[in-house]
Amino acid sequence: MGAIDRLSQLGSQITGGASAGGKAKLLEKNPDDIVVTAALRTAICKGGKGSFKDTYAADLMAGALKGIIERSNINPALVEDIVVGTVLAPGGGATEMRAASLVAGFPDSTAVRTLNRQCSSGLQACVDIANQIRAGMIEVGIGAGVESMSTQYGPGAVSEFSELLESHPEAANCKVPMGVLSEKMAKDRNITRASQDSFAASSFQKAVKAQAAGLFKEEIHPLKVKFEDPKSGETKEIVVDRDDGIRDGVTAESLGKIRAAFAKDGSIHAGNASQVSDGAAAVLMMKRSTAEKLGQPILGKFVAASIVGVPPLLMGVGPWKAIPKVFELTGITKDDVDIYEINEAFASQCLWCANELGLPQERINPKGGAIAFGHPLGCTGARQVSTLLYELRRTGKKVGLTSMCVGTGMGMAAVWVAE
Amino acid sequence: MASMLEFRTPGFNPYAVKYSPYYDSRLAVATSANYGIVGNGRLFVLGLGPAGIQAEKAFDTNDALYDLAWSEINENQLVVACGDGSLKLFDLATGDFPVMNFAEHKREAFSVCWNPIAKDSFLSSSWDGTIKIWSPSRPTSLKTLPVGNCTYSAAFSPTNPAIISCGPTLPLLSTGQTFAGAVPSEILTHDWNKYRDTVVATGGVDRVVRTFDIRNPAGGPVGVLLGHEYAVRRLAWSPHASDVLASASYDMTVRVWSDASSAPQPQPNTIPVGNQLGVMNRHSEFATGVDWCLFGTGGWLASAGWDQRVLVWDAHTLLRG
Repeated sequence: MGAIDRLSQLGSQITGGASAGGKAKLLEKNPDDIVVTAALRTAICKGGKGSFKDTYAADLMAGALKGIIERSNINPALVEDIVVGTVLAPGGGATEMRAASLVAGFPDSTAVRTLNRQCSSGLQACVDIANQIRAGMIEVGIGAGVESMSTQYGPGAVSEFSELLESHPEAANCKVPMGVLSEKMAKDRNITRASQDSFAASSFQKAVKAQAAGLFKEEIHPLKVKFEDPKSGETKEIVVDRDDGIRDGVTAESLGKIRAAFAKDGSIHAGNASQVSDGAAAVLMMKRSTAEKLGQPILGKFVAASIVGVPPLLMGVGPWKAIPKVFELTGITKDDVDIYEINEAFASQCLWCANELGLPQERINPKGGAIAFGHPLGCTGARQVSTLLYELRRTGKKVGLTSMCVGTGMGMAAVWVAE
Repeated sequence: MASMLEFRTPGFNPYAVKYSPYYDSRLAVATSANYGIVGNGRLFVLGLGPAGIQAEKAFDTNDALYDLAWSEINENQLVVACGDGSLKLFDLATGDFPVMNFAEHKREAFSVCWNPIAKDSFLSSSWDGTIKIWSPSRPTSLKTLPVGNCTYSAAFSPTNPAIISCGPTLPLLSTGQTFAGAVPSEILTHDWNKYRDTVVATGGVDRVVRTFDIRNPAGGPVGVLLGHEYAVRRLAWSPHASDVLASASYDMTVRVWSDASSAPQPQPNTIPVGNQLGVMNRHSEFATGVDWCLFGTGGWLASAGWDQRVLVWDAHTLLRG
């Protein structure tokens, strides 16, 4: 444990008070807390035909970064590093994202890098920024994520496996397509088609309701982009400010009619798996003391994150292993968490993890999830932060958790506190 | 306060001092660099001789040391609670390194206590909210008791090997028994009376030392001792007299008390208040450790504080009148 923790713990022996454990400790406000002073995302739009189908990932990111500057009013020169999680970009997207930051209005003194931890890249980006701040490497940073699955999703995403990798059975499992392995997991773990469909339908219904009530308004930063009308072939400028994957009228029964996608007798189909989408998200972070000095409004704080590995063929169980680990790190229990944002890669795996951990349904993804509005791979982890913090604020709740399974067999989870 | 022996621990701030249960001339001090905030720890084993207090041995550790306990089965061994969450068993007869390392606690280990009855076990408490019971010969714990809160203090009963007590917010026994309305703030230290096997004294943030009788958990404290001006950091009942205890405090004093047990029957509905027998005010920083010598005429105490000093003195010199 760090010196500051020790100091406050020993200090509390004289003054009392601060040595609370568990949730009470989580809610304490200390000058060295890593806080979020702005968090936003673009709309999330359907891959291939949605509003962002003609927009490059870097343009999405530039838009989101510009949004962060506008919303927080921060002097861009104070931002020392930007980390962008992105999965499909060739070359890791490093060059485009550096360029995107310059377009967004950051000076050349603001460093930029990209990272790829598959579906948790956006969260990893935020965690990396938080850790850099905590370690004293930077004072202000942005964790972000982006994916343009319209322009970059395809067979080129994974290069050929060498003979060496193919000859190692567990290594070779790393490239089994996620739909196929999730189908197998659903079968092995006895997750019925009906329970998946009802979980997926409720994701749609929650998202429809949230969208109608305008609950996404606060988190979405509208972007003006070029869009080629597929019918007329005419290119026009449109403003995109709502998720276009959310469909009304989806029920478990209507989903029940869709044919399984990965096996004849399977249970997984397009309606109970995450959508292929485009989107970007960004989170501005700094120490509480810095935020107060700069007069930045504090949305919430980052507490801790966990990363775990699981067998590649069981990648869907990632949250089941990552969530208890982050509880251990933070000293809280599942009852202390008010809202869970668990990525719905597949209804099967999200449902299984929640049931296995005994998490209450009503606290999971209250505004719907990736099944309803999409999972732009690198974006999701950063997207969850704004979805979570704004919902916690709106409902007057405090403690939130974001988590996701990660392709090739990993899981991540992070604890956040809204203020 | 004429005769007082002194030992300095330059560069290291003591957190605990304990007399050997085997020798009247040996004691050990757990210390930490930089007040235990960041840096190394050092365990001193001291000998009392005609030339004063001499260091017989010193063991260095990578992280701060917060507590120590002498082994009850091996006169050469003692275990320390370390800032990295580990417990280390040192042997005076072998080298500079621990003979056993017990690494399970996820945060700072803050107290250790050797079982005085079942002598093949000891316990530790930690800021990670658990108490662990260990065997000195096994690297993994025998049992983990989740307390849920950061525990500053845990101890075995000196008369019943099965009873464990701990802080931090209420005295709590391993039987699950808690004490009603007992202490309004964190308990930093507690100790079992050596003669009356149901009596426990607690001290902590609210500066008050309280005694409880575990036979009457709903009855509240059976005595209070008032006087410390800051939190009470360490308590030790006398091994020689059933009503006497010593306390070390963040107010830099060590005080010796008689609890109210020998007083005439108190008025109903009042909590008896014990007497302060004397104040030792020679420490110039937080007093963190105090322990009684088991041997001799009784009354010899060792105290330690953040002033980087260990003082050995006779409580009789404090007594008034």
